[in-house]
Amino acid sequence: MATQKTQTNTAPLLIPCSYLTTESNKTGSWRFLRPQYEEKTAPCSAACPAGVDIPRVEMLTAQGLFKEAWETILAENPFPGICGRVCYHPCEQYCNRKEFDEPVAIHTLERFLADTASRYELKPTLEKLPAKRQKLAIIGSGPSGLAAAYFLARLGYQADIFEALTEPGGVLRWGIPVYRLPVDILEKEIVQIQELGVRIRCGKFVSQQFIEELKDTYDGIFLGCGHAQSLPLKIPGDDLHGVEDGLQFLGKIRRGQVPQLHGTAAVIGGGNTAIDTARSAARLGVKVLLIYRRRRQDMPAFDEEVEMAQEEGVEIWELQTPVKIEPKDGDLLVTLQRMRTIEEDSQGRARIQPESNKRQEIRVQHLFKAIGASAAERWYDPPKKGRGVLRLSNCVLVPQSQSAALVYGGDLVANIKSVVHAVASGKQAAVAFDTLFKDGVASIESTLQAEFVGEGPAISMEIHMGGPRSQRNHRTVHYEDLNSDYFRFSPRITEPRLLREERLQSFGEINLKIGASLAIREAERCFNCGICNQCDNCRLFCPDIAVMRDDNPKGRHINYDYCKGCGLCVVECPRNAMTLGEERLCNKS
Amino acid sequence: MQQVLEGSHAVAEAVRLARAQVISAYPITPQTHIVERLSEYCADGTLDARYLRVESEHSALAALIGAASSGVRTFTATSSQGLALMHELLHWASGARLPIVMAEVNRAMAPGWNIWADQTDSLAQRDTGWIQLYCEDGQEVLDTTIQAYRLAEWVNLPVMVILDAFFLSHTYEPVDVPDQEAADRFLPPYQPRFMLDLENPCAFSQLAPPNIYMEMRYNIQTAMDESLAYFDQMETEFEGIFGRRHGAVEAIQCEDAEVILITSGTVTSTSRQVVADLRHKGEKVGLLKIKLFRPFPVSRIRELTGTASKLAVIDRNFSFGASGIFAQEIRAALCNLPAHPPVYGYIVGLGGRDVTTEVIENIYYLTKNSTAPQQESVWMGLHEVNHAIGHPR
Repeated sequence: MATQKTQTNTAPLLIPCSYLTTESNKTGSWRFLRPQYEEKTAPCSAACPAGVDIPRVEMLTAQGLFKEAWETILAENPFPGICGRVCYHPCEQYCNRKEFDEPVAIHTLERFLADTASRYELKPTLEKLPAKRQKLAIIGSGPSGLAAAYFLARLGYQADIFEALTEPGGVLRWGIPVYRLPVDILEKEIVQIQELGVRIRCGKFVSQQFIEELKDTYDGIFLGCGHAQSLPLKIPGDDLHGVEDGLQFLGKIRRGQVPQLHGTAAVIGGGNTAIDTARSAARLGVKVLLIYRRRRQDMPAFDEEVEMAQEEGVEIWELQTPVKIEPKDGDLLVTLQRMRTIEEDSQGRARIQPESNKRQEIRVQHLFKAIGASAAERWYDPPKKGRGVLRLSNCVLVPQSQSAALVYGGDLVANIKSVVHAVASGKQAAVAFDTLFKDGVASIESTLQAEFVGEGPAISMEIHMGGPRSQRNHRTVHYEDLNSDYFRFSPRITEPRLLREERLQSFGEINLKIGASLAIREAERCFNCGICNQCDNCRLFCPDIAVMRDDNPKGRHINYDYCKGCGLCVVECPRNAMTLGEERLCNKS
Repeated sequence: MQQVLEGSHAVAEAVRLARAQVISAYPITPQTHIVERLSEYCADGTLDARYLRVESEHSALAALIGAASSGVRTFTATSSQGLALMHELLHWASGARLPIVMAEVNRAMAPGWNIWADQTDSLAQRDTGWIQLYCEDGQEVLDTTIQAYRLAEWVNLPVMVILDAFFLSHTYEPVDVPDQEAADRFLPPYQPRFMLDLENPCAFSQLAPPNIYMEMRYNIQTAMDESLAYFDQMETEFEGIFGRRHGAVEAIQCEDAEVILITSGTVTSTSRQVVADLRHKGEKVGLLKIKLFRPFPVSRIRELTGTASKLAVIDRNFSFGASGIFAQEIRAALCNLPAHPPVYGYIVGLGGRDVTTEVIENIYYLTKNSTAPQQESVWMGLHEVNHAIGHPR
């Protein structure tokens, strides 16, 4: 201690004044609680079947780092352009922001990033492991096959795709109408996969015999042939002229063989194919009746698609099922049986039965069947059981002791048939093969579990490859874990769309692009649950100046010599990226 | 230049003339006009100061403690609850020996919620080590605010310039506003005796263990004594430039008075009138205005009251369980004299109630006609109230 005195003014002045550093007082020794940076899992990312690191994507987008954000999606999903358009975005249902105002428009931002990458012809920098000796054959170039090949290639394996049709893409090319998914978007993302070294051989139908041959040259085979065979109605008149298969109708349109339609078309079914068929038919100028045997709310089609179909004039006739189709003066006379709900099953879906004597006849010019699809070949279906058959959440693995292991994936095993589930399946297959080759079949399930995003079953390729995300706690951040004092109400972006009238005039893409400033604003709405977005609250609130910036401006660390463990940093962290735990006495600094 | 100014704006003009460099502010009635006017001066460039809007009075003073430690001239203003919220930092500012100047508009403490004049808020802070100056009118408040910087910077103690709510803060009066050149002559730029210095880093106000703490406290007291002596010297200089002097205490016709009324703040102006009227009627009455409350000018008070036979202290404040606070101080100042006049205490005008000439005249006659003080405090003009009303049910 020293005192400061002056000569000029003689008034008494004695104050505590020290020229020693206060750093000699190591207040960290007082600590019995220890704050630390511990990133956790955002509920959106755990709800994404592909396990995309959404809070990080939005953080980077908000910072204007569009390429990095796009690459963050690509780490877990090869199809940001496709999924940004066609995914039913279960992530948004789990967005914590839903509890605050409205969920973040995650799918709109995903599409924006893909559009931006495409506009600037960006080439992604993707982590790719050194080449391995094993080779994999992929049967089918639909989303699951492409995804499997993509992830296997990044893990260092040679992946060769065999596609029966003339061009790759499967349901993405032939099943989803262009007003939802323009072909150039699909092609760009396929090219990106090929640039990783994946070979695609089109026009090669794979027979059961050929599979046996492949087993000699490949170490594993992924079967992702999809459900391309529409189910029959099994009613009289099913095969009449004018009765058509919905999937084939969609395929024809995409091949440019646009059929001439007139009058009224009935579409039978309630799934996404039925909706796509109905909306495509509406664009060809006919009145469309969508006939579904259960209730509107029981339709397996994604809600948003059903709503848009209704906007476009598709009439939904619920609780009706066709029982007979007859020809009548060149038209079709369809007899509909009225159904009634007897009860709801455990998922709230209606159980139905015919209502006696309630039948009506309708006269239509076209009828499309879209009540579901199955594998085109019986042997595509995975074995129900058998020695060593490993049923995973999105794949079925059949190990072979002497030859290549078989993995069934995509729609062949999926409960929910969506593109993002196909991606999940391809990724799971890639991780399963990788683990099989490295550690044996017994390790597959435990490996997958260790790579769960949150509670799973979504897994992360970044975690599999040992990236920074593997440091994250699997615990999911709930709304109550956030400090919402730091968030402001802000309305969700409205995705711009073509007007209804414009939509019906062409197959032009319905959803329009958004600009960077809108995207940044929407991305800023993201709470970035569980991850550090460098908001610096921890550092600003620390009363001991014990939160330090790393040399890298994006990093923070705690100087435990001075941290008293007050926990302010943890409480003031808006996004639960920090944790306060008890100090272990032996561990004290 | 003569201007018709609100009391609050007289403070603001003085702060402008003092060239305060950092002003922090949190609004509270009836102080707000002061910082509002200063914010306008900062915004339009009339005053080159950093103006900090803070989130509480606690922060307002904390910010100034930081600013003053870096060697700049500082100002804030507050009132009532705001002053109470600053309490911890009032001690800090004086203990750290920072020459902060604050205007404090006397307002009653809640509850019941009351925004009107009452001195209890500032008097409750009498032990915090701040110099306290109670002002009577607009001119005095302007002059005192400028003087406060000289005083504060000389003895390294914070100064509170105190004015009554509304009776002074919101009353328009003619005020002579000096020109900047004259103000600068009286108050040159602040020359801090210590300050935070990046070239020569050190820490202030850290641990003071028992072996030195007491000396530091004694040092504050000697600085208080110094300020008492310096006050007259400073006022003489001020008078030389501006031709005005207010005095740490002011005695009006006390020389031959038998009863001396003792007042502070705006009650003094009313009392001046009463004394003139009573003198006209041949009553031997005097008036002692106390401006400097901390340090308390004990020897001046002893000298000026020695000849009277009775003292009547008029307090617009109260210390619960004791008496009016000025009365306590006067009693304490006189009690060790071998002989001194008895001290009568009167409580008036709490929570902004009017203190009229009748009330003061009444106090004079009560004192004159009494043989000895019957009680510590006489509460003037209490209404009959039904005490059952307002009981919790």
